[in-house]
Amino acid sequence: MTDSKPLTGGGLLFNVLEQHGVEHIFGYPGGAIMPIYDALVDSNVQHFLCRHEQGASFSAVGYARASGKVGVCMATSGPGATNLITGLADALADSIPVVAITGQVPTAAMGSDAFQETDIFGLSLACTKHSFQVTNIDDLEKVLHQAFAIALEGRQGPVLVDIPKDIQIAAVEQTFTKAASLKNKVKLPLADITKALDLLTNANKPILYVGGGVGMANAIDEVRDFANKTGLPSVSTLKGLGAINPDSEHYIGMLGMHGTKAANLAVHDCDLLIAVGARFDDRVTGKLDQFAPDAKVIHFDIDTAEINKRRIADAPILGDLKENLPLLTMPLSIQSWQAQVQQMKDDCAWRYDHPGEGIFAPAVLKETSDLMPENTCVTTDVGQHQMWAAQHMDFDDPSNFLTSGSMGTMGFGLPAAIGAQISRPHDTVIAVSGDGSIMMNVQELATIKRYQIPVKIILIDNAKLGMVRQWQDLFFDGRLSETDLSDNPDFVMLATAFDIKAKQITKKSEVTEAIKEMLDHDGAYLLQVKIDAKDNVWPLVPPNSANNEMMESA
Amino acid sequence: MNNYKLIIMTDDKQVVLERILQVTRYRGFLIDGITASVNNANNIATIELMVSSDRPITLLIDQINKLVDIKSVAVDNNASQLCSA
Repeated sequence: MTDSKPLTGGGLLFNVLEQHGVEHIFGYPGGAIMPIYDALVDSNVQHFLCRHEQGASFSAVGYARASGKVGVCMATSGPGATNLITGLADALADSIPVVAITGQVPTAAMGSDAFQETDIFGLSLACTKHSFQVTNIDDLEKVLHQAFAIALEGRQGPVLVDIPKDIQIAAVEQTFTKAASLKNKVKLPLADITKALDLLTNANKPILYVGGGVGMANAIDEVRDFANKTGLPSVSTLKGLGAINPDSEHYIGMLGMHGTKAANLAVHDCDLLIAVGARFDDRVTGKLDQFAPDAKVIHFDIDTAEINKRRIADAPILGDLKENLPLLTMPLSIQSWQAQVQQMKDDCAWRYDHPGEGIFAPAVLKETSDLMPENTCVTTDVGQHQMWAAQHMDFDDPSNFLTSGSMGTMGFGLPAAIGAQISRPHDTVIAVSGDGSIMMNVQELATIKRYQIPVKIILIDNAKLGMVRQWQDLFFDGRLSETDLSDNPDFVMLATAFDIKAKQITKKSEVTEAIKEMLDHDGAYLLQVKIDAKDNVWPLVPPNSANNEMMESA
Repeated sequence: MNNYKLIIMTDDKQVVLERILQVTRYRGFLIDGITASVNNANNIATIELMVSSDRPITLLIDQINKLVDIKSVAVDNNASQLCSA
């Protein structure tokens, strides 16, 4: 703020954001947030104008996931605020720290069905970790600090702060008081270390099951040390990919509905499952009562509510992974089991010798993974391309693979890539998308153009809603219903309209050169990869089936 | 269907009652009755919530406990009725 202007609620907002180290925010202005946008002019915070509030919320999510910082987005009241909701729900489901600021009609008008008034505070209850509505200017500073503290504390998540217009323009003095640290209500330790040690030392066929909580807890080193010293065979959830180095000797890949055959068979056969920052999600377990049916469970988590939620833990260990994992780190004598798992891994290796001249999407993604620079960040949308990326691309850190895991939100990938690229300007960022998903937030190509964001887009195009089509073919007697997208726009022309270099490839022989051209290009690039509409994602655990009953072909 | 009486102590903050009711419904519990009062001296509210469900009550207790403003959640065993297995 300049010295000549008295501090207002809007100016205070940016002062607090700067106190928390916020450099970039994503948003879209409107009537009830105009005083905040006026204060933005005097702020050091850089604002990125997205072309839809949903894009702003997903860019904040991508920013947070790629950088480990809190992502910040803002929107006006009414439709602006409701448009943020999908991104907030996504952040809640995947435990991503985001602070969302919404403008609100003046306090005197609240509850009168005013223009662009909606009860975003009420709507936020089911899609945020916590939310505030500031109705007294004297509360604003404290509330903003609390919002950041809550977003980051324990299991991370999104926090919404709704600020009426009269609060935004009210004069205020900054007190520079910091938010009191939050008290953990959980009675720690709920840590059955003795029982866990007993289970671990007596297990013959133990498996390490790594989830997204590892990256969120910043415990990658501890998990890798635990895996290396114990020699445990390990599997990963979709959101955990990258926590274990994919080249690790005993790592056997992703488990679950589209997991590797080796991972699912090994988990099915194991006698001890060590779940680390994982929550036994239904896409992981398949039929729950047949998931690892003979296994005892050691469950590490930060969230009490995840313990015994879907699977009873024989030894629950609640708290910080960085402190608790070393307590169980020791060599184990499981050579026979290691050899058995290695045999499964060898027997189930991926194959890329796809017949014909057409392009095989898994091979494109595998080759991209091999060619992309170190520390490339990949985002995905949702569908077949998402599962192929998870299966065939390698990541050495969870912050290098951003995908909408729990919510499965189409439209995530492009704006998330924008956020990731802004947070990490020196790293390559690739958005892997599908022809269905990209249209969900295609307006964000304008954001790429405006800020010259050099995101690379690999568009896997089968002119279908491919995953739904696959399920209709397999489980609905081939009765295709509303999954045809053969009237898609010309994606090369579309990208070109936003000054984004673009190319379409249709033949296997074009793949390598096209990937290299995309990666070598200085700016944004869209590579449209035409594939056969009948290609399916394999393996697949059918609904209501155990993971060892996976299908490998139609 | 098991019946439980929960005793919830919470800071008297915005929409805390709505948050508790939303979590209770979403997690699969029916609300059979509720009483609430606030101690104005310390701004602590006491909420007695009668709920019923086939699901274990610990699932709801853990979820309500996660709400930021909640200070404690306990089951009143004397007022709870569990169906025999």
